[in-house]
Amino acid sequence: MPILPRLLRCILLLAALALLSACSDGPDIEGLKVYRHSLGGRPTSLDPVQSATVYANHLVVNLYDTLYAYKYLARPYQLKPNLAEAMPEVSADGLTYTIRIKKGVHFIDDPAFPGGKGRELTASDFVYSMKRHFDPKMRSQGSWLWAGRIQGMEAWKKAGADYDREVPGLQALDRYTIRIRLTRPFPQLVHTLAQGFSAIVPREAVEYYGREFSIHPVGSGPFRLQTFDAVRAVLVRNPKYRKEPIDLAYEGYDPKTQAKYGIEEIQGKVPPLVDRLEIHFIKESLSRWNSFTKGDEIQFATIPRELLDEVLLEKQPQVVLKPQYARRYFYLSGLENGFVHTDFNMKDPKIGYNPDPEREKRNHALRCAIRYAFDWNERNRTFYNDMGLVFPGIIPPVVPEYDPEAPRESIRHDPEKAKRLLKEAGWSATDLPELTYGGVASVTSRQMFEQFRAWLTRIGYPKEKILFDSYASFGDYNKAVKQAKIMIVGMGWGLDYPDAENTLQLFYGPNGSPGSNASNFDDPEYNRLYEKSSVMQPSPERTRIYRRMNRIVQDACVTISGLSRRYILLWHKKVVSFPDQSIVGGFHLKYVDVLPGRDGE
Amino acid sequence: MTRDRSSERTSLWAKAWYKFRRDRIGVVSLGVVALYFIVALGVWLGLWGQGWSQVDGPMWAPPGPDHWLGTNIIGQDIFERAIYSTKTAFEVGLVVAVLSTLLGGFFGALAGYFSNSWVDELILWLMGVLDAIPFYLFVAALAYALQGYPYAMHIAMIATFWTTTARLVRGEVIKLKNFEFVEAARAIGLPRRLIIFRHITPNTFHILLVQATIVFVGAIKSEVILSFLGLGVTDGVSWGLMIAESTQEVQAGHFSNFITASLFLFFLVMAFNMFADALQDALDPKKVAA
Repeated sequence: MPILPRLLRCILLLAALALLSACSDGPDIEGLKVYRHSLGGRPTSLDPVQSATVYANHLVVNLYDTLYAYKYLARPYQLKPNLAEAMPEVSADGLTYTIRIKKGVHFIDDPAFPGGKGRELTASDFVYSMKRHFDPKMRSQGSWLWAGRIQGMEAWKKAGADYDREVPGLQALDRYTIRIRLTRPFPQLVHTLAQGFSAIVPREAVEYYGREFSIHPVGSGPFRLQTFDAVRAVLVRNPKYRKEPIDLAYEGYDPKTQAKYGIEEIQGKVPPLVDRLEIHFIKESLSRWNSFTKGDEIQFATIPRELLDEVLLEKQPQVVLKPQYARRYFYLSGLENGFVHTDFNMKDPKIGYNPDPEREKRNHALRCAIRYAFDWNERNRTFYNDMGLVFPGIIPPVVPEYDPEAPRESIRHDPEKAKRLLKEAGWSATDLPELTYGGVASVTSRQMFEQFRAWLTRIGYPKEKILFDSYASFGDYNKAVKQAKIMIVGMGWGLDYPDAENTLQLFYGPNGSPGSNASNFDDPEYNRLYEKSSVMQPSPERTRIYRRMNRIVQDACVTISGLSRRYILLWHKKVVSFPDQSIVGGFHLKYVDVLPGRDGE
Repeated sequence: MTRDRSSERTSLWAKAWYKFRRDRIGVVSLGVVALYFIVALGVWLGLWGQGWSQVDGPMWAPPGPDHWLGTNIIGQDIFERAIYSTKTAFEVGLVVAVLSTLLGGFFGALAGYFSNSWVDELILWLMGVLDAIPFYLFVAALAYALQGYPYAMHIAMIATFWTTTARLVRGEVIKLKNFEFVEAARAIGLPRRLIIFRHITPNTFHILLVQATIVFVGAIKSEVILSFLGLGVTDGVSWGLMIAESTQEVQAGHFSNFITASLFLFFLVMAFNMFADALQDALDPKKVAA
């Protein structure tokens, strides 16, 4: 018998076995507690200065430490110290923040450190991490949060961004004390210190890995990165992570609404509660759903829009799962921390500001007419499964300043009034301007446009004057928005922190393109009120100003707003979790536990 | 006693027409294509299909008297959209077929007449380069680069479809250029452009005609694929867009958009393919002469 074929067969057999073993969980995770999370997208960088997406943030806050975090279970959201020892000491004028950090916190072991041993994290690491945002070489995506607010930071940047030079407004007073001096009061500062952008990195690692640092995170968070690719990230427990037992009462546990998830199980345990955290990046919602329902491939998902009727027993007023799903999965539903709206580009003289005051008046009537033609209920039914909440203005229901009693005129669908407004302003089919509605070249964007066009044709707008301005990707679309090229801009906004200031800044004049103010609205009264309120601590007076600003935006007919979408999150019954995809975000992952004996079936 | 009357006809076209008429499948296919053409013409003239963009029905209404084939997610009439899409298909098919045939005929004739010269080399090199790029990748890249321009997709298709026509014409011209009528034209001192485009090219019309029908079908299919990918029709509706819309609807159990667009496309493509086959058979000099 020839030897070679036998040898070849053996090699092939071994190779096949090796491949098969790669498909299974493998011996390296046997006996470990594993939680398999999923996200609808993939982060491109794990460097905190680039953590602009919710996907990146989910990883960054688990790999690095932030000074502050959000309480796991408290709703409305509440801040708590994380790496900081306590909430900051704030001077009477609101300009100086003194923060003490915990002692004995170490970075993970990594070749970037001498001898490969992670050193202690100190106040100067925070100072260094914040300075990176203002180093032009870093191309930070989060510098806008603090731009112009920290004393001396702009001068430091202009002087060449030398990390060895001190910034007067950002200093490490000693190994464990940080002092931040602001140019003007910034009540939301602590919220910004709970974001992935403010995560603390060691200088040695940044210099050691150079550009590769974006995929070689070296932090002091609850987990350390094992592998990271286009499909998933695998994080393993950081054995050096500080031991802080969970106090459910402190975390805001509400037995009435949260006991059903079995959260008491984690009382007194020390996070992170799993040995291995897998985060799977699955863009296609149906694929994600299939992975979720077929076993333990992933243990957390959302319901694809197409399957809502199949999975849900009731959508309104409460979301209820059909029994066959409710037996197997926990679920949580709520309104998103943000909203969708459609803005008019005020820089466009055909519909916005115009040197001719008469034309500007007619443009105002035109915008208001378009707003009355817009049918929010229809849009909600068609694209948000009738589960979104339509509200007037730009203060969404999730923030404390939301006014449920606010007049709903700006979201009323009234085609007759729209026609009347056009007529009164002297508009006719022949002289109405050509409208361009921007969107991404996707089926949903096109259908939203076609629906919008149909509403306008009903008020007498000629169909051929309403055009779709499509862009190949969201990046291209966003670029065009930043360049104020689009006339009618459909946008969505996710709150960075639970304060209406974060949405009101969307209409603040100086934030116009390329800033976050996509409408380029620039109203002196609004700007004055924004400047006044943005330095105020929460108070009834500030709420009153916020609501006044909300009214100004509505009266100017500068936006068609808004709708907060409803999310539905599902997870396996053996997983103890209270997930959140927005404000708490990735912070919740260190509290997730897996109890194998608690399967839903 | 009957006689084969085809032998009485002398011209290629007359023989081909006679042969084509005897091909039942070909005639039926031509009838189907003509029907589609009438539908497209009616849309052009504003006789029907004008309500394709109206949102006047409920979401995902089933087929009924108000909406014969139901409605889509935003309440648009699927039948109206399918009818209007016929115009889109013919528009794309005709523009691409005519222009790529003209381009292919022109460059093919030049390359053929000047075979083995630098002109031939250059045209062959250009065709080789274009053919070496995977078709849909090239079309998608070009359509993507020209996005925002309403005829980006047309240009992309013309840029790739002309090469096959040019190769066929080149071969035919190489054969024709040594015929006596060409020698005679040269002998009386006719300029080259007249020899190529007045004397030789008309003898390649049978190839151009068949090729144009093939390109027509190819353009319609490509338009559907490109529109499905979001790179096609920028204004209006097409079967490709309808199928793209239906990907979400099918998951929710609504099949009308998908079935309607697919069937409209299927019958037109099938009919055109069979018509092109019949035309090819009719115009094949070997078969016509037989």
